[in-house]
Amino acid sequence: MEKTAVKNRKKPLSPVVILIYVILLLLAVIYIAPLLWMLMVSVKDNAGVMAEPFGLPDMIHWNNYVEAWTLGRLGAALLNSVLVCGVTLLVSLFFGAMAAFAIGRMRWKLAEATHTFFLIGMMVPVHCILIPLFVRFAGLGLTNSRFGLMLPYITFSLPMTIFLLTGFFKSMPGELFEAAAIDGCGIYRCFFRIALPLCRTGLFVSGLMTFVGNWNELLLAMVFISDPAKKTLPVTLTYFVGPYATNYVQMFAAIIIAIAPTIVVYCMFSNQIVEGLTTGAVKG
Amino acid sequence: MDKILRDKKAICIFIAPALIMFVVILVIPIGQMIYYSLCDYAALTPPEFVGLANYKKLFFKDSTFRIALKNSIFFMIFSAVSQQVIGLLLAVLLTNIPKGRNVFKNIYYLPSVLSSAALGLLWAFMFNPKIGINQLLAKFGIEGPLWLMDTKGFIILPMWVIAFVALWQYVGQNMMLYMAQITGISKEIYEASYIDGASKPKAFRYITLPLIKPMMVTSLSLNCIGSLKFFDLIYNMTQGGPNHRTEVLATELYAEGFNYFKYGYASAISVVLLVMCLIVTLLVKHVIKVETYES
Repeated sequence: MEKTAVKNRKKPLSPVVILIYVILLLLAVIYIAPLLWMLMVSVKDNAGVMAEPFGLPDMIHWNNYVEAWTLGRLGAALLNSVLVCGVTLLVSLFFGAMAAFAIGRMRWKLAEATHTFFLIGMMVPVHCILIPLFVRFAGLGLTNSRFGLMLPYITFSLPMTIFLLTGFFKSMPGELFEAAAIDGCGIYRCFFRIALPLCRTGLFVSGLMTFVGNWNELLLAMVFISDPAKKTLPVTLTYFVGPYATNYVQMFAAIIIAIAPTIVVYCMFSNQIVEGLTTGAVKG
Repeated sequence: MDKILRDKKAICIFIAPALIMFVVILVIPIGQMIYYSLCDYAALTPPEFVGLANYKKLFFKDSTFRIALKNSIFFMIFSAVSQQVIGLLLAVLLTNIPKGRNVFKNIYYLPSVLSSAALGLLWAFMFNPKIGINQLLAKFGIEGPLWLMDTKGFIILPMWVIAFVALWQYVGQNMMLYMAQITGISKEIYEASYIDGASKPKAFRYITLPLIKPMMVTSLSLNCIGSLKFFDLIYNMTQGGPNHRTEVLATELYAEGFNYFKYGYASAISVVLLVMCLIVTLLVKHVIKVETYES
């Protein structure tokens, strides 16, 4: 009796809404199934994959992960990726925040022009600077070095960071800075003690996006680094590409290892990533 | 207060690191690239000025470049249309369901943050003519096409496959941008229109669509530039093959520059790519006229 009462109070789902749910669910399956399938294949053996790629594994071969790890030098690659992306993240956030503070908060004639100048950087594909930069860096001994890879990564992370953070700085109440100035706070202290701590969300969001972008970057890393000990994760994966690469199970194990960190980070912070991406874009 | 915010020295210090990096790593190399594109320059010899010879060769003699250009343009148009339409559709559907909005949103957005190098390997396996999807089709007695090895038609099948994989991976981004814009529209506008007798499709046509136009500019230009510089998926799925038929500008540039070390020639391709990006951005800005509404 009570149950029906509750049911009646709820608005019944219209057929259209049910149809929408069916479509959305089907789509969700298309999105999730390949990833789960990959997880399943990664614990099969090669013969099993060729015979029954869509069947369940009859034995779980954890060994694939061990072999992929050693064969693909994934340990070193993971370390390189963390190092390169980590340093890039910190430096680009710091430089980006400084520039964004000057553009968004300080008063000078060229602020808008500088902002536009940095935004145009978002339109330039990284491919365009590949050859001149490679030639220059080869002359300076910066190819095949992790530091050499960080420089273009930082530069190409700056436009997005500046774009997002300028919005955050602009939206801060001006009274805060005025009060600080009256108390004798200099501009540098204003930046470090007030502006930076207050835009933690902005820093976090642009940091995440920078990190994910650079973590997945393939082209620059492929061109700049040829020493296997210095390769980053996406480049290491190309080891498994090509007509003669038939070691599928290890390839899938390597892929899982490569994308697992991103999935974990995404699951932890998906709402912030989404929010940051959209607030930045909407404001612009 | 005003004085410290006008402090010229501080402004210089704040802006300098980013500006220097930008000029050294981005602006100067672009200038150099334009110069190299006018030179005969192989890796070991110094660049030698030859005028427009590289461009003449590109547009009149190089059949691979023509394929790459065709594929890139196809890829851009297909991605722009399909991702915009489906992204917007998903955004509208998701903003209209009572429950589970966040779950679906997060699922659809997930592939966008994953490495396309890794996902390319996955799909290359799936679309292998002998294994993957074709094995599944064979169970139902269907003989699947050659997928990534097929070479028939004006736009060959592998390009369609890659375009669909890109759609799968990146449509979430457009959906997300549109969702943000749609949820920002005030509910009162809709309520008022329903009271005046507007149906849902009409509300979409006359309220939602005009109000999300600014986002369309952002989303469409990001979309077009993104698909023009597309590299990872193609490199890991076909490596430009079979017989250079799936080459796009980015892979062609990589091959000319770093497999054959024709730096001058590859620079000319980068100039074409850069010019295309600029043209597309300007076109999008001018074609979609943004009217401002009070919201």
